[in-house]
Amino acid sequence: MGILRYLVRRLLFSVMLILGVSAIIFFLLNAIGNPIDVLMADNPGITDEALAAVKAYYHMDASVGHRYLIWLGNVARLDFGTSITTNLPVGGMLLTFGAETLKLQIPAIVLALLLAIGFASIAAVRQYSRLDFGVMSSALLGHSLPGFLLGVLLILIFAYWLGIFPSYGAYSTRNPLLGSTVIDGLWHMVLPLTMLTVFNTATLTLLLRANLVDVLRQDFIMAARASGLPERRVVFQHALRNAIIPVLTYLGILFGLMLATAPVTESVFTWPGAGALYLAAIQSLDYPVIMAETLVVTAMLVGFTLLTDLAYVLIDPRIRLD
Amino acid sequence: MTDLLTVDGLKVHFFTQSGVAPAVDGIDFAIRPRETLGLVGESGSGKTMASLAVLRLVPPPARIVGGSLRFQGRDLLALDAAAMRGLRGKTIAMIFQNPAFSLNPILSIGDQLGEILRWHERISRAAARDRAAELLRLVGIADPLHRLRQFPHELSGGMKQRICIARALLCNPALILADEPTTNLDVTIQAQILDLLEELRERLHMAMLLVSHDMGLVARMAHRITVVYAGRTCETADVHSIFHAPLHPYTRALLDSTPRVDHDYEHEAHPALRTIGGRIPDLAAPPSGCRFHPRCPEATAECARLRPEPMQVAPGHSVSCLQRGSPGVAEIGGRHTDVSAIGALHVGPPA
Amino acid sequence: MGAVPPRLRPPGQLRQGWQRLRRNRSGMLGVILITIVVVVALIGPWLAPYTPNDQSAMLGFAARGAPNWAHPFGTDRNGYDVLTRVIYGAPTALAVGLGAMLVASLIGILVGGIAGYIGGLADELLMRLTEFFLVIPVFVMILAVVRLFGIVVVGTWLERVPFLNLSTIILLLGVFGWPPIARLARAEFLRLKGMDFVEAARCIGAEPHDILFRHILPNALPSLAVVIALGIGGAILAESMISFLGFGDPKAVSWGQLLYFNYQVLKVAPWAVLAPGGAIFVTVLGFNLLADGLSDAFNPRLKQ
Repeated sequence: MGILRYLVRRLLFSVMLILGVSAIIFFLLNAIGNPIDVLMADNPGITDEALAAVKAYYHMDASVGHRYLIWLGNVARLDFGTSITTNLPVGGMLLTFGAETLKLQIPAIVLALLLAIGFASIAAVRQYSRLDFGVMSSALLGHSLPGFLLGVLLILIFAYWLGIFPSYGAYSTRNPLLGSTVIDGLWHMVLPLTMLTVFNTATLTLLLRANLVDVLRQDFIMAARASGLPERRVVFQHALRNAIIPVLTYLGILFGLMLATAPVTESVFTWPGAGALYLAAIQSLDYPVIMAETLVVTAMLVGFTLLTDLAYVLIDPRIRLD
Repeated sequence: MTDLLTVDGLKVHFFTQSGVAPAVDGIDFAIRPRETLGLVGESGSGKTMASLAVLRLVPPPARIVGGSLRFQGRDLLALDAAAMRGLRGKTIAMIFQNPAFSLNPILSIGDQLGEILRWHERISRAAARDRAAELLRLVGIADPLHRLRQFPHELSGGMKQRICIARALLCNPALILADEPTTNLDVTIQAQILDLLEELRERLHMAMLLVSHDMGLVARMAHRITVVYAGRTCETADVHSIFHAPLHPYTRALLDSTPRVDHDYEHEAHPALRTIGGRIPDLAAPPSGCRFHPRCPEATAECARLRPEPMQVAPGHSVSCLQRGSPGVAEIGGRHTDVSAIGALHVGPPA
Repeated sequence: MGAVPPRLRPPGQLRQGWQRLRRNRSGMLGVILITIVVVVALIGPWLAPYTPNDQSAMLGFAARGAPNWAHPFGTDRNGYDVLTRVIYGAPTALAVGLGAMLVASLIGILVGGIAGYIGGLADELLMRLTEFFLVIPVFVMILAVVRLFGIVVVGTWLERVPFLNLSTIILLLGVFGWPPIARLARAEFLRLKGMDFVEAARCIGAEPHDILFRHILPNALPSLAVVIALGIGGAILAESMISFLGFGDPKAVSWGQLLYFNYQVLKVAPWAVLAPGGAIFVTVLGFNLLADGLSDAFNPRLKQ
């Protein structure tokens, strides 16, 4: 009952947020120019009939507001339109390219979380030791080194100088590694995955260790030890469980921003994902793609924020809905 | 009757970047089976560290650096980690100062109590739950099965402390270490909890180390009392002797500064309540010789030079004060130094 | 009323904090790094061996040359001296970081402060607004707006404004970067509003703007400083990423731009990428360390 009402309220607000952002983008885009002009600029020899057809397709005779509503209506039916540059359905493009992006992003986050738990536990339990100092310094460096710079370094060292890994793309155009596209794909994934994982691990380790140190200082941890429980149990069942709760927020943001942070990663590694798609769409002013992708990115962020809040309510018994 | 727990010359030092601070620098006490020993002192006297040391749970950067701990005839400092864990929560249990923070906020009461039971004794979940409920009833909590499903934040302070007491009693310990168990509770609840502790100790034949700064509380609960100041023992005696014939100047000062119902303050020479001048010493740079000498009305030059050793003045009554006849030991450099390697310089009572 | 009441603040809090910061090694390292960047930004252009647009190397077929005596950091794809361009990138970076955070702080403190201090309906509305801005995909939006803005101004008077593109980026970073500051400001104002010294000030008859500016704001600054320091580093990073993707200001010399120009020749002239990359790293690290140090200085944990 309480949870349901909360959920409904948040959902409504989330939808409003998404609509608001998409409206802003739509009006912005249309304030700049319309696809017709772009088309005419790109294709000076376009016939009048083709022009008329495009105009009708994009409802150019209607007002901006009307066009927005039409677009919304289509989106509600999961019709994201057709790309101006490729003439393919945008929805399909998003799925294909999005899958490539998620192929990198999801494992990066999961791996980072597991590593961070390991590092943070070691560091917090042996606080002030050299091990702790080492972990913390590495984490701070990894967090401060901009991801894309790390990517460039990785390419420089491992692709150019050592020649172990490929320097661009998700697949080899010819001769997949060891004759298997799966292995070839994984081989291409190594460097970008490393880049993403390093940064995420560093940030999560910093966060988690700080929380763990705070929690380990609390009386109930001392009480658990005084009850004879072994140290491992105290750290994992009691301390970590408490310490990881605030980290959920950051995890939610990481998941929510999976597509938003893609453009840079995919630029560095020439990865054919949703980020690269977005960059191309902006360059060529492919409105349907821009609109659709912005919508999806916003929806993801909003959605994961909502999920995170829900998770808090379920996991932490102290949180009451208000 | 042999002592259940003997603590001799316990030393616990803090090792920090800015130096070493001797939080406990020679505390001795002994507890006999089924008796309550009150460990009394101001905050910073080292009493909490001493109680943590018994369980070898002194938190870094502090470490036990000297002394001996014997429990049921065994040398606690010689036990390995597994053996020590076997004692904690089972034979020796602890109740902490702040019930609000001594329970894990995200686990239910039943989970927390059950975990301890199932760790020490291999019993099933159902059996653990029943035993936990039985103990909740023992500490005066009605409707225990419901409480087991609740979380700490849903309970009052008094209720939480009762649960902490129940947690300590889960495996029928022989010794309870209670560190200021009522300090953070409402005054109205304090008496209830104290009565409960006393009744349970009696009923379950346990011994108790009651750490407190409150003389009145200790008078009510303890059979014997050890007074500590700045990490060292001042005086040990049974409760009557402490209150009616205190020897150590610090003990006297403490008693004088506690308001008493049976005192006629109006017709006293000093109608105002006496206080102890000065303040407790900085742990990192403690006074030389007797730690209390800067604040002691009877201090002499000797007191600043020599460190008093405990001396028995009557059966069960010992005091560490040069002015009461205790032998003194020279200290090197004024900072903490272990003088046991150097021959003690005995100074007898003034002829 | 009589004289303005004196500033009621725990005495020496700032000085205590500064002393703690001095003792914090990572914080001081951050200060050192930032000082280096600032010094380079201020006097570097005078000491630089070339001008940033000097392509003489290209004429002598010395473009993409490895570091040598004439060009300590080598030359880049277009024959520019890398060292010079990196030096000239420093003031750009600082302008971006400080400019963006100035905008973000003004908006953020205003919004958060009002929400925290006044509460009630204003609080609700302002917090909804903050949430809205929080979920806007900043990076993606900035790319779109920069591109579109670039198209709009073609043929208008705006086109002749120097560094228009860069200024737009700075403004946008600030306009999209205020929510975290607003959140913190609100929390701080809420916390401080209930403190005794504010109550005391009100009893003396201090007026609301007096309380806000002379009593509450100075006490909120330490926590805000941490977020602002992080934000400066973040803004510099964001601008370098935007430029790296090709949306930067071609007329401004920024490290991100250098990366963008020279990424294609990474294999043959890595120094042209490593030098600006290193500069970005050092600067961002400096601000992160400073933020870490500030956070420890004003909320000291028992570090023994």
